[in-house]
Amino acid sequence: MTLSAIHRARPRDPLPEALLGELRARLGDRLATSAAAREQHGKDESAHPITPPDAVAFPTSTAEVAEIARLCARDGVPMIAFGVGTSVEGHVLAIHGGVCLDLSRMNRVLAVHVDDLDARVEAGVTRKQLNRHLHGSGLFFPIDPGADATIGGMAATRASGTNAVRYGTMRENVLGLTVVLADGRVIHTGGRARKSSAGYDLTRLFVGSEGTLGIITEITLRLHPQPEAVSAAVCAFPTVDAAVRTVIQTIQLGVPIARCELLDTLTVQAVNRYSKLSLREAPMLFMEFHGTPAGVEEQARTVQELAKELGGMDFEWATQQEDRNRLWQARHDAYLACRQVRPGSRAFTTDVCVPISRLAECIAATNEDITRASMPVALFGHVGDGNFHLVIPIDETRPADLEEAEAINRRVVSRALEMGGTCTGEHGVGIGKLDYLDAEHGDAMSVMRSLKEALDPRNLLNPGKVIRVRDS
Amino acid sequence: MQDVVENLSRLIRDAASRRRPLCIRGGGTKDFYGGEIRGDVLDTKPLRGIVSYEPTELVISARAGTPLVEIEAALQEKGQVLPFEPPHFDRPPQPEAPQPPAEGQLSIAPVPTEEKLATLGGCVATGLSGPRRAYAGAVRDFVLGARILDGKGAELHFGGQVMKNVAGYDVSRLTVGALGTLGVILEVSLKVLPAPAAEATLRLAAGPDEAITLMNDWGSKPLPVTATAYRAGSLSVRLSGAPSAVAAAAKKIGGETMDATHAAQFWSDIREQRAAFYAGNQALWRLSIKPTTPPLDLAGPQLIEWGGALRWLRSDADAKVIREAAARAGGHATLFRAVDKTAGVFHPLSPGLAKIHRRLKEAFDPAGILNPGRMYPDF
Repeated sequence: MTLSAIHRARPRDPLPEALLGELRARLGDRLATSAAAREQHGKDESAHPITPPDAVAFPTSTAEVAEIARLCARDGVPMIAFGVGTSVEGHVLAIHGGVCLDLSRMNRVLAVHVDDLDARVEAGVTRKQLNRHLHGSGLFFPIDPGADATIGGMAATRASGTNAVRYGTMRENVLGLTVVLADGRVIHTGGRARKSSAGYDLTRLFVGSEGTLGIITEITLRLHPQPEAVSAAVCAFPTVDAAVRTVIQTIQLGVPIARCELLDTLTVQAVNRYSKLSLREAPMLFMEFHGTPAGVEEQARTVQELAKELGGMDFEWATQQEDRNRLWQARHDAYLACRQVRPGSRAFTTDVCVPISRLAECIAATNEDITRASMPVALFGHVGDGNFHLVIPIDETRPADLEEAEAINRRVVSRALEMGGTCTGEHGVGIGKLDYLDAEHGDAMSVMRSLKEALDPRNLLNPGKVIRVRDS
Repeated sequence: MQDVVENLSRLIRDAASRRRPLCIRGGGTKDFYGGEIRGDVLDTKPLRGIVSYEPTELVISARAGTPLVEIEAALQEKGQVLPFEPPHFDRPPQPEAPQPPAEGQLSIAPVPTEEKLATLGGCVATGLSGPRRAYAGAVRDFVLGARILDGKGAELHFGGQVMKNVAGYDVSRLTVGALGTLGVILEVSLKVLPAPAAEATLRLAAGPDEAITLMNDWGSKPLPVTATAYRAGSLSVRLSGAPSAVAAAAKKIGGETMDATHAAQFWSDIREQRAAFYAGNQALWRLSIKPTTPPLDLAGPQLIEWGGALRWLRSDADAKVIREAAARAGGHATLFRAVDKTAGVFHPLSPGLAKIHRRLKEAFDPAGILNPGRMYPDF
């Protein structure tokens, strides 16, 4: 089904007046029904058309979320959890209407246990806010998707970022959760113990469930000690292939590289313009090494040798924090920079992940798709774990653009699946990847569907995302 | 191999239609672990062999009945390891140790000793990890994908062989530690890591409070610590990594360096529970708690691992007392080895969580035939 068809086909019932009255009585002006508020909560960073909810609630506690959920469940009204709307697959779009629960006002860091290396936060705390809070503690929270997303949203989408090779993703860094279930009951999973073997691993089931199994309101996170020494390096390559080969050899040698990002020529050009840098306009690796001063130097030297053999040029160091931050901010802004390549456009992104041994081959074939495309398509990604993105800028006034972007995505995804990969390495399913899940999982979708039915039998939690149940 | 899978599927469908419980078993090395074992044995040993291993990929896929030793040997040849150091428990423990499983616990014939080889399936189903767990991650952190037969005999595949995958619910990891109650594991893909280039084990004299403080202090610093163990005044710490990093850290930590052979034996005895602490018939409790918890005021000898997050306890104390102490410390207690398991093996679930567990169990195994009672008595 095409995206436009998804948007047309949704049945929507208006919110019961009585429910609105009860929500307003409890939340006062923390319930918004204005067109502006609804529209603002009917979109994310994706190219999907705005699909507003019927009302937006701004709860400030787990108890309030639970109460809203009880009322919505009573009336059979859909509930959509919302952080800051930085998802890229239409995760937060209210395709069945309903009440959006904007959790951004639940933004307290509840506890930081420096000695235990953990922290408990409310869902609306953003990753940058948490790291500011941790400043001076010697600890940090490493997961860094490009946007300053909320921890709740990151848990719900099982987010990762540029540090995954070394520190893992949200999957490995969430220790426990407080979750409001579809009927308003509140449960606590996991805990502060590192290892939780009491029963099934519900924490990991909710992490990545995209708000379809429960609404995450509090998260206990694992923190990491700040590395004693950090150094960053950039290196240009004659071809994307040479850059990828350098990464593969680095990993084979067991160099514990912390970050390793590939930018193709178009991305480098876009980044140069957007972030006012003057990098050589060629395929490029951004790398970072964490460890002891001696270890960091050893790692970087090893990689430099490998890069040189494969034609690497301009291997440059950045040991000053300022320079490093500038570099990584530029990398994080690559998505925005690539959108600027075609001003006024919205971005359609792809997110495949393939086995590292097939990465060079997969990127080479994808490059042929890019060359044939009618718009400038940028390629960049987290090559250390086999995950890369295309940013396809589309003009909303031209339906042919969306069709072309979808066609490119279909080709990239089917190639990745053939290579034993996945259609989505870190962005999640939302509505954008729904159609690919059957191809990837086959019969296993039936178990996922029964898990959804087990936890949300009436399909009220973010309906129509991740999994199709009955009429969604 | 597909005929083996089809045969298992047929046995499951048959058992489901007759509602006859099945006991999923590989090498039988962890029969002692968990609750009641009953039903017809569903032998996973014929599911043997490494399906694919590409060292450059840092991924190995193997069938559930493959002995762990076989997997570890294949990895060692390429200088790689299973970073979570799974315990095998496949050699008889020290004399006088409980001869697990306990009387009355097992209504099926034990596996002959010569066939007792820990399998990958059992490693994943029990979700048990060894000394490096607190520093490298647990089994579940390394499972990338799994192939299972559910309680209806349907073959399902979750996850894959790639490092990152967010396409749908994380079902492969849900099966880790589920003790076979959600499905029969057929095949697992695991992330592996290069073996550390250098290792050193240091030993320091310390009291229990000081030991816990030291372990946590090391954990919060960028030191290449990969194992810690404290018992009776002696704190051992293992460092692994690049030679320069290990040497620099050893200097900072101090203490006495153990010779390599002795050190390897020491950590293996901890991992496989062959150290003297584990001998004898007294109940062995495993308390998973927040790492900074001071020494627990519970009767019986304790051994501390995982930077303070894991406390082994030999104790005849009341289960309730032990579980309350664990809960106060932010964790839970498992009756790991015992002759009498009437107190329940795992921490009881709250009514809300128990309900979700039952629903999940029903989603995977509607007839309730897969290892019933192995985790909790009622499913």
